[in-house]
Amino acid sequence: MIKNKKGFQVSFAWLFAIIVGAFILFLAIYGVIKILNTGGEITSVKAGAELGVLLDPLETGFEAERTVLLKMPVETRIYNKYNTYGNFGKQIIQVSQKNWGKWSQTNVDVSFQNKYIFSESVVEGKNFLIFSKPFEFPFKVANVIYLISSEKNYCFINAPEEIEEELLDLDQNNLLVENCLAKSLRVCFDAGIGPDFQECDISVDTGRREVEKENQTMFFETDALMYAAIFSDKSVYESQVKRLMKRTNELLLLYDDKAVLLSAQGCPLDVGLLVLRNVVNNVQTSEDLVNAANAADDVERENDYAECKLW
Amino acid sequence: MQQMMWKEKMTMLNVNYGKMIKKNKKAQMKIQQMAFMLIAVTLFFVLVGLFFVVILFSGTKESAALLKEEGALLLVSKLANSPEFSCGNAFGTTKINCIDGDKAMALKDNINTYSNFWGVQGIEIKNIYPKNQEICTFENYPDCGEITLIPGTGTGVSNFVALCKKENIEGQIYDRCELARIVVYYGETD
Repeated sequence: MIKNKKGFQVSFAWLFAIIVGAFILFLAIYGVIKILNTGGEITSVKAGAELGVLLDPLETGFEAERTVLLKMPVETRIYNKYNTYGNFGKQIIQVSQKNWGKWSQTNVDVSFQNKYIFSESVVEGKNFLIFSKPFEFPFKVANVIYLISSEKNYCFINAPEEIEEELLDLDQNNLLVENCLAKSLRVCFDAGIGPDFQECDISVDTGRREVEKENQTMFFETDALMYAAIFSDKSVYESQVKRLMKRTNELLLLYDDKAVLLSAQGCPLDVGLLVLRNVVNNVQTSEDLVNAANAADDVERENDYAECKLW
Repeated sequence: MQQMMWKEKMTMLNVNYGKMIKKNKKAQMKIQQMAFMLIAVTLFFVLVGLFFVVILFSGTKESAALLKEEGALLLVSKLANSPEFSCGNAFGTTKINCIDGDKAMALKDNINTYSNFWGVQGIEIKNIYPKNQEICTFENYPDCGEITLIPGTGTGVSNFVALCKKENIEGQIYDRCELARIVVYYGETD
């Protein structure tokens, strides 16, 4: 039997080429992955900024109950974040989009001081329904924005007439007042006894002004905050209410300065804002809203009868 | 005889040694060639990669600038109706695109709080008719024509509004509304 005794010999040149070639390939693959990730991140940040621009007319607009249908090219997750520091707090949006079956990762926040978005912490879908409503306390404080995924259906049972009309005016397929779909989230108003009130996902008590959702209670004043409580997570709702109270306080400071300016023109100081300012500053949770609402009613009455109205 | 054999051996060794040196030099050359080639290939791929990165991200700055412009245009068309500016019912009925001059002066006094609120570089309200270019201060208000809230830098976009204020004429309080322009400056992208 003849045996090959030569064996396999690798020259130094081959070894060198393999090692360096592998290193070049590794660098190339690493670079491509990094570029793809950065591209995805840029797209997400751009989507967030575009969403902010789209919300501008809703925030500063004069019109009540405007609806916007936001269509995304791919499956999108909108993260509703916030902070309550400073004079106004911040509305923070993060957008993550599905590319090649994977959600893009982003740590870049798009933040706004003048927006109040009420939604679940993470809203997922391809199409989103956005509508807004002015929050008056007693003067207009902001247009609060509601963000819902089009894939989520809400069915409002036993809603008061004006709420029903408002929902019909919005003319959205996923906000129903009759013929509830099986997969709809059932929003029951002033729940009574009967088959309609069984298996309510969200209960609204218009008398006690509270919304119960996932065994948690949120308190509201005005219809704007009622919708907010229905469509939001408790954490989002409570923080945005706190931010709204901060803006109310800043607006009260403006009206206070305006009153001084008007008194120099000869207008009497008919509206006392100090009590409302103190109460608004002490609102920590939505449970404290009721006290602020009483003070707001008093101030509204004073302003209605004032010689020079402040708002 | 022994001397002859020794000489022959030495000659053979010298020949072998010379061959080895020749072979080594050839190998060194090959390694050098390969190293240079690999460096050239790496540089080539790096340059191609950079070219693609530049193409991929060249639109980002333009997109950011475009978004800023779009945002400013939408903002200026609606800003007069935001709670910090709007007339509300202070001058009779509810008016659209009406700025409460008294409230704007109060805002001027508190502008540090609002410096980042709208995310713009500047906001100014300028009277158009009757023309008055005097900048408003608390001393000359309401007999002035320009309320500079945030001094404007960069590019500006504007919208026509009504500028209303309360005025005392011979002890009587009147509402005075004039035609004005609100200018929003959105600046350049860094």
